[in-house]
Amino acid sequence: MLLEVIELTKRFGGLTALSDVSFAIGTGEIVGIFGPNGSGKTTLLNLITGILAPSAGRILWKSTEIQGQSPHVIAAAGVVKTFQNPQLFLELSIYDNVAIASHLRLRRQYGLRRLAELLPWRDAARHSEVMQRVDRILALCRLDSVRERTAAGLSYGQEKMLGVAMAMMCEPDLLLLDEPASGLGEDEIRTLEEVLRDLRGAATTLCVIDHKVDFLARVADRAIALQQGLMIAQGAPAEVLHHPRVIEAYLGRHHARA
Amino acid sequence: MKLLLWVPFFIFPALVQSNFILTIFIFSFILAIAAVSFNLIFGFTGQLSMFHAAAFGIAAYTTSLTVSIFQVSFWVALLPAICFTIVLSLVIGSICFKFKLRAFYFAVVTLAFSELARLVILNWNNVTNGTLGLMVLDKPSVWLPVGGMVKIDGAVGWYFFSLAALIFTVALCSLVLRSWIGRCFAAIRLNEDLAQTLGIDIFRYKLLSFTLANALAAIAGSLYAFYTGYIEPNYLSINQSLDIISMVLLGGRSSIIGPIAGAFVLTGLPHMIDLSGETRAMLYGLVLILTILIMPQGVIGTLATWRRAA
Repeated sequence: MLLEVIELTKRFGGLTALSDVSFAIGTGEIVGIFGPNGSGKTTLLNLITGILAPSAGRILWKSTEIQGQSPHVIAAAGVVKTFQNPQLFLELSIYDNVAIASHLRLRRQYGLRRLAELLPWRDAARHSEVMQRVDRILALCRLDSVRERTAAGLSYGQEKMLGVAMAMMCEPDLLLLDEPASGLGEDEIRTLEEVLRDLRGAATTLCVIDHKVDFLARVADRAIALQQGLMIAQGAPAEVLHHPRVIEAYLGRHHARA
Repeated sequence: MKLLLWVPFFIFPALVQSNFILTIFIFSFILAIAAVSFNLIFGFTGQLSMFHAAAFGIAAYTTSLTVSIFQVSFWVALLPAICFTIVLSLVIGSICFKFKLRAFYFAVVTLAFSELARLVILNWNNVTNGTLGLMVLDKPSVWLPVGGMVKIDGAVGWYFFSLAALIFTVALCSLVLRSWIGRCFAAIRLNEDLAQTLGIDIFRYKLLSFTLANALAAIAGSLYAFYTGYIEPNYLSINQSLDIISMVLLGGRSSIIGPIAGAFVLTGLPHMIDLSGETRAMLYGLVLILTILIMPQGVIGTLATWRRAA
């Protein structure tokens, strides 16, 4: 298993945001996690990526415990997430945003040889292949036409795609997407699906959080449903969506009985 | 292209023989080194360090004391001064950044460390001579293609010496800032949370920025001590820190050369209009307030915006 989450619990003061959640993600899977607002989806991602430390439970990444590690250590190990509300370097151009995200890739590939970049005569040719990758990702995410614009001037959909582009530039083994489709138009969702297919082609394991159930059903191999911090169902997306407790959580008790 | 901007500075002493004006330039160059290096941590990494003047002053004392105690040359003494500043920066930086002190908390804690350093120097009478300060009688020597080893003395010599040090500082800063290190600094300044999730070790890069800035301030401090021939605990005072901040804000913190303009204006202007200490302080305040109100990007930043608009 690539990632194993074992009895994970997170309490904020008196509020239990996540309670005893256990699941595993295998290499190459696309796992969808859904649940209504406040069901603990984003908390779960923040725990996995080290932004929050769990109150109890363990997270195994490639069989090593990672819970409570710093976010940058977990990112370097290959787990990267996007943000629900896009987090960007607003003052910088789209290109520079993605160039900053090349940090891990450069580190992995060059290590201390990056110091050569400090030499005055090593200017134009520096790490050209990595910079070509920036161009490729921008093209894939349909951002190449606005690459010189500052990130502050993007539409909401473009902001989201830029977030995905930056995460892709990190070349993670597991990419966690926090509501990538929310707020996107139909065209943008289609672009997103293309990007996800490309990621899968590049052997990236994906974990997508959303409450757009039909979007998840299209892209995910397996689904996990959360409600009020508890995992209420997991399995094939179609099964999970028709699970009585899921219907109840989404539509209320009345519809579940009907 | 950018290198051509320096040419007028090399011709300048041939045109202007006034020692008075050259002296203002020398002070401006040396303080510009402090301001440019301060901008690494402040403008580019977004951390308001109040330790910059302390690094400047501690290095000034270390170099001068090493020269007078061990009877070595300026260059030999500069090395332990820079190393000592680096060690101090690593310790203080580690404390601040491990505890994730942000914005004002970082400023206040670094200010406390810098006051601590000032009080040590002020009260360590038998070494530092307390409030009275120390005379620095030696001058640095350099090797020149014509004339071999020469002691730097007189305005023209110091002019070129301090100019060379400033160019070295600017060159080093531009090389660092255009590399992946500069990208990490920008990431930290603009969005720490995002930087972390992209795998940037913000502790490491903040520490690097803080240490590099202080090491360059150490060079400025040592030069200042040897140029003026005198050091006193006020080098480490909060006023000195505020002067450096003013230079950066006035010149513009988004560019490498902005603080140089600020250093020139704030060093030159008071001398040009020949004011008393109090009026000088008022002018500092007034210029700063007006700049922040009218040109929040600083002089150079505003000029750059105009040029883009034109």
